[in-house]
Amino acid sequence: MLSVKDLHVHYGKIHAVRGVSFHVEEKEIVSIVGANGAGKSTIMWTLAHVLKPSSGEITFLGLPLPEKPHEVVHSGMCLVPERRRLFGALTVSENLVMGAYMRKDAEGIRRDMERTFELFPVLKGRLNQVAGTLSGGEQQMLAIARALMSSPRMMLLDEPSLGLAPILVDRLMDAIVALRESGMTILMVEQNADRALEISDRAYVLEVGTIIMEGSGKDLLDDPVVRKAYLGELA
Amino acid sequence: MFLQTLFTGLSVGGIYALMAVGYSLIFSILNFSNFAHGSVIMLGAYMGLGLASKFGLKLGFVVAGAMAGGGLLAVLNERLAYRKLRHRNAPSLYLMISAMGCSVFLENMVYVTIGSRFYAFPEFFTRRVVTFLGSSVSVMDLFALAFSLLAIGALGLFLARSRTGIAIRAGVCDMTMCSLMGVDTDRLVALVFLLAGALGGLAGTFMGVRYLVYPTMGWITNKAYIAAVIGGLGSLLGAIVGGVILGVVETFISAYVSSILRDVFSFTILIALLVCMPNGLFGKSMEERV
Ligand SMILES: Nc1ncnc2c1ncn2[C@@H]1O[C@H](COP(=O)(O)OP(=O)(O)OP(=O)(O)O)[C@@H](O)[C@H]1O
Ligand SMILES: [Mg+2]
Repeated sequence: MLSVKDLHVHYGKIHAVRGVSFHVEEKEIVSIVGANGAGKSTIMWTLAHVLKPSSGEITFLGLPLPEKPHEVVHSGMCLVPERRRLFGALTVSENLVMGAYMRKDAEGIRRDMERTFELFPVLKGRLNQVAGTLSGGEQQMLAIARALMSSPRMMLLDEPSLGLAPILVDRLMDAIVALRESGMTILMVEQNADRALEISDRAYVLEVGTIIMEGSGKDLLDDPVVRKAYLGELA
Repeated sequence: MFLQTLFTGLSVGGIYALMAVGYSLIFSILNFSNFAHGSVIMLGAYMGLGLASKFGLKLGFVVAGAMAGGGLLAVLNERLAYRKLRHRNAPSLYLMISAMGCSVFLENMVYVTIGSRFYAFPEFFTRRVVTFLGSSVSVMDLFALAFSLLAIGALGLFLARSRTGIAIRAGVCDMTMCSLMGVDTDRLVALVFLLAGALGGLAGTFMGVRYLVYPTMGWITNKAYIAAVIGGLGSLLGAIVGGVILGVVETFISAYVSSILRDVFSFTILIALLVCMPNGLFGKSMEERV
């Protein structure tokens, strides 16, 4: 579904992503784990085509990635970036309207809205609250809800559990699995690497801009090197 | 006298508000001072003038034509002078300098093609007066006020309620995120310029009717910048309130003190306000910007 070949990304002179190749198949959950500054978010922003690669090839659904970010969204891939990036001056419901901006099916939008409220009931009571005044956790829920409203074929989640209470992290992981059941493909980056690996079909380990390991979620979860480096376990 | 002055003041204030709202809208979405806005207003006045005197059109058509013309001109301005810079993420200072260049270019084009003559709108536009509560009020002032209210009200409703209006406000918060929602941000920016230019064309027409039409009439639009800053840059409500306050105060100063002191007063208000309230009346404080 998504295939990345020999991707390089620079910030000026900084070489942040150095020849990364990976692929995500339809209805898979794939994780990228790695230390701070490894280049995970850079990869995500590049897939959304907000950042332009200096070289490499990205194909989505068999076609080269569209040039403009909004065209990427229209082609069915939606990024939930790190640290929420809500429309702070807009209300909760306006943020959700923005999520569904490119959809025309009023019925589907209503259904997804209901599904969103089942997942995050707190949002329902706060539809007219200005998003910037939500608590950190509520904001995170809204960010995910907003992306769900676009009903994409593939979601890119950059640290979706950031700032959520443990019980909500559980709910979120369940929701991600449920989304996959309903046909969604997911590529995610997680600080909670063990939680992400538990639900991932496959995963890649990224270190200073290069993929150093790949395997099934379970294999990586059991790998002593990964456990030591990314799951904070003492050897 | 008082009532008449008040009406004139409100009408001038309405025109200032129209100019300030367009300017402020562009500022809020692109974060730069579009100094070419004044020239768009000036050309809007010429378009209105042309439609009224050459074609003898009725007020409604003149206004509609000037709005369409102003809107298209502003879109063209953005397309040719700003878009490339935006795509390269140029600092806003570059955009501002480009805007100044556009302004000089447009003014000089008018000098070269139309000349420096002062033109007046046809008579029937300016003369009529009605008596209202014992004081005579110019019909044109009433029209200017009505059109300003209508245009600003419609814009406010559009921004508050429509999906596209929500997208514009979302773009003001975070343009990149807006594109991640599937919004074509180039089109969104073009739309903002269309709206600002249309309000500019409307303002220019009434400005031309009130004063005269000439190449440097754009300097009056400095008032729009003052109004926008008084109200708080980037705040539309601020631009409206700032415009009305400025118009009313100026008119009263002209009528009761001296018309020569009028502009001295405008700038004094501006500076005094900035010293006391650096963010204007309705401006967001810098920390509030996420
Ligand atoms: N705008 C930028 N300009 C210059 N360098 C940047 C920029 N953004 C990121 N970098 C650098 O690129 C590298 C990769 O950053 P990136 O944000 O992709 O890391 P990450 O894996 O997402 O880290 P984290 O887990 O902390 O989110 C880092 O060394 C970072 O300093
Ligand atoms: Mg990151």
